[in-house]
Amino acid sequence: MLEQLLIFTRGGLILWSCKELGNALKGSPIDTLIRSCLLEERSGAASYNYDAPGASYSLKWIFHNDLGLVFVAVYQRILHLLYVEDLLAAVKREFSQVYDPSRMVYRDFDEVFKQLKIEAEARAEDLKKSNPVVVNGNRKSQVTWKGDGSEGKKNGAGGGGGGGLKNDGDGKNGIKSESDRFVVANGNSANGNNNNGSNLKSNGGNVSVNDKDNDSLNNGAFDVNRLQKKVRNKGGNGKKTDSVVSKAEPKKLVKKNRVWDEKPKETKLDFTDKVDVDRDADLDRKVDYLAKEQGESMMDKDEILSSDSEDEEEDGDDAGKNSNKPDAKKKGWFSSMFQSIAGKANLEKSDLEPALKALKDRLMTKNVAEEIAEKLCESVAASLEGKKLASFTRISSTVHTAMEEALVRILTPRRSIDILRDVHAAKEQRKPYVVVFVGVNGVGKSTNLAKVAYWLQQHNVNVMMAACDTFRSGAVEQLRTHARRLQIPIFEKGYEKDPAIVAKEAIQEASRNGSDVVLVDTAGRMQDNEPLMRALSKLIYLNNPDLVLFVGEALVGNDAVDQLSKFNQKLADLASSPTPRLIDGILLTKFDTIDDKVGAALSMVYISGAPVMFVGCGQSYTDLKKLNVKSIVKTLLK
Amino acid sequence: MQELDQWKEQISHLLNVANDHIREIPTDQLYAAAAIAVFTTLLLLLLRFFKRSKPNTIVLTGLSGSGKTVLFYQLRDGSTHQGTVTSMEPNEDTFILHGETTKKGKIKPVHIVDVPGHSRLRPKLDEYLPQAAGTVFVVDALDFLPNCRAASEYLYDLLTKGSVVRKKIPLLILCNKTDKVTAHTKEFICRQLEKEIDKLRVSRSAVSDADVTNEFTLGVPGEPFSFKQCSNTVITADASGLTGEISQLEEFIRQHVKP
Repeated sequence: MLEQLLIFTRGGLILWSCKELGNALKGSPIDTLIRSCLLEERSGAASYNYDAPGASYSLKWIFHNDLGLVFVAVYQRILHLLYVEDLLAAVKREFSQVYDPSRMVYRDFDEVFKQLKIEAEARAEDLKKSNPVVVNGNRKSQVTWKGDGSEGKKNGAGGGGGGGLKNDGDGKNGIKSESDRFVVANGNSANGNNNNGSNLKSNGGNVSVNDKDNDSLNNGAFDVNRLQKKVRNKGGNGKKTDSVVSKAEPKKLVKKNRVWDEKPKETKLDFTDKVDVDRDADLDRKVDYLAKEQGESMMDKDEILSSDSEDEEEDGDDAGKNSNKPDAKKKGWFSSMFQSIAGKANLEKSDLEPALKALKDRLMTKNVAEEIAEKLCESVAASLEGKKLASFTRISSTVHTAMEEALVRILTPRRSIDILRDVHAAKEQRKPYVVVFVGVNGVGKSTNLAKVAYWLQQHNVNVMMAACDTFRSGAVEQLRTHARRLQIPIFEKGYEKDPAIVAKEAIQEASRNGSDVVLVDTAGRMQDNEPLMRALSKLIYLNNPDLVLFVGEALVGNDAVDQLSKFNQKLADLASSPTPRLIDGILLTKFDTIDDKVGAALSMVYISGAPVMFVGCGQSYTDLKKLNVKSIVKTLLK
Repeated sequence: MQELDQWKEQISHLLNVANDHIREIPTDQLYAAAAIAVFTTLLLLLLRFFKRSKPNTIVLTGLSGSGKTVLFYQLRDGSTHQGTVTSMEPNEDTFILHGETTKKGKIKPVHIVDVPGHSRLRPKLDEYLPQAAGTVFVVDALDFLPNCRAASEYLYDLLTKGSVVRKKIPLLILCNKTDKVTAHTKEFICRQLEKEIDKLRVSRSAVSDADVTNEFTLGVPGEPFSFKQCSNTVITADASGLTGEISQLEEFIRQHVKP
């Protein structure tokens, strides 16, 4: 059952909540949703899962950007409620009609909601009865269907050739029917669906007629029209089979159609009709449902259908484009200027798309991982859709400012990045502050460890290094050299020791000799290296450091996502405690080598949620900086 | 090109006509018109200048969950309606305080802005501070100790902002949720905040050689920090947003935005 449905403003005032549902929510799912999802530019996602002791909720939301309203539905995760999205959309539609910014109480909406809920539930019930297979949300089914359709097309095109070749040699039944099918699909995608019958005819000819014809068929590379001619020219025997098969084929077509209708239940057909009649809005749903069927069954004739429908879609699209283009040209600069002065009514997704695409490309040229650029654009689109465009602004500039705000929001650290403050706090508790440097090979862990040590030393903090890279030869010596140059004590145990034990001893040593900070150097490891990741997880679990610093180079592109997410994932998976330690902060190295391609900073922060604490930007000990959010954002959008 | 020439001709013709028309008007009338135009622009500029010199904005800040939005609606409508959730956008409105609606006479409305406390939204604060007549830093007195450090860091950032120091914007530390029994007293909270800020002073001044800096340092070097050392006035008060116990807040607002 639905646990709660809330309507609130973006300012945070609850306008209406469902009183009759009235179940007290455990924990505060709504606040958590806002803080960790909507404010983190993840609002493009479909749903959010919230776990509290004794409850696990799923939350779905929808924005009304023009009025600045948010609609959130909360339900138990174990129940796959089909009607939630539908209900939210309906509530949004109805509520936006009664909404008045100066009004705060909407008692009378209770009745409307009750009605909407009953309707939505009934629709979901119908859908369930008609097709028990549909469990997923509409969006997903659509996607799978599309994929299948294109695959089917490919199959048809590729398999047609294969089928033809096989036909050459023998005339076994199975292969015959296979070639039938493929040629049908092929012919369809080539010719469109207007001459199904003749295609089938030609098929019949193809199958029944002997080797000679097949040869010519192969030579002709499936020119169906030519084939038809040939078949017709042949006459006699060929024609007879022609007519026979053409009779059989349409029958088959109908049969196939029936098969996928009959599959679930006898009464199903009636139901869909009913639903269809019931409501106009259900038309969409029905289409989705059909699509789902096609995606699931992968039956022969489905390929025809899907390719047909796709063709139609494409046709429709083409037509739309064709009709739109002259329009756009006709409009010209005057109307666009007029629009910019008057302000556009409401932004739609199609209006935003070109601007967002340009922005995404720009982000990607700045080395932002594609996945992240995509997600960001989705989130910005979600925040702008339905908004009124202010006068004297263009869409591109509106999108630009929205993106800028989003970027600033992401890069602004969520937790304090004042390490010195933390160090002092640890000092008061008389225990050393432990920092573990992790990262892949060759990103500059040891070098930047030395830089951090130097910086801490400058501020009168007693630092100690721990050489826990017991894997790569020369690592301990490298660290020893840094330690000697900086006059910092170093704790080392040579190679071939368990790094976790070395770190433990180092921390004990530090608390003995009164060091305030222990900087632990670890071996570089690729994120996929299971044994090494396990060792790292053990090190972190055993020593419980105050800060796990991920060292990543700014040169990295799409791999940044993989590195950070895998590191986090592995740390979480391999930890033996229920509350695993994850990456707390990021040290971005080689920042001086990338010019304006600063995208790695954004990718890393977005994927991990951890702030960039230091930026390494040179070879000497002094080349350690803090991230300047404003300049990064400026560079990203330049 | 031909069209362009045609247009040019038309325009010159129109100009000629206009010139002739102006010559027909007596000169003194012309002067009068010019004088009126100059006078009105001056008046508008003056009005704007006066408006700007007397800001009437009060900014509500504080950590997420300290009760700013509730206070905002208490001030405006005298009710919390049906509760609030975490804000995603600032609430702002210009109104006469709810507690003063019964008073007679003309009252100057106050512009109150409730800036979300979520750390990702803090950059918004910089937009409102330059026009502020006063800021209110809301502290959750009930759940104070776990959030003490975060609150004092935010407060430190606020107190060292260039616009706050330069304009000496007065600050009210408002201890919210004092209706609850286990709430801390304002004296205790004040003392804890001072202690924390004192520590922050050391670490933050160390950070300043990096390129993100607070423009100003706080307090007198060598002495433990107290709010008295700030260049702007810092006072503390109690309030309870839920029960509507906000008289001290209203007093502060009226002190800095004269009715």
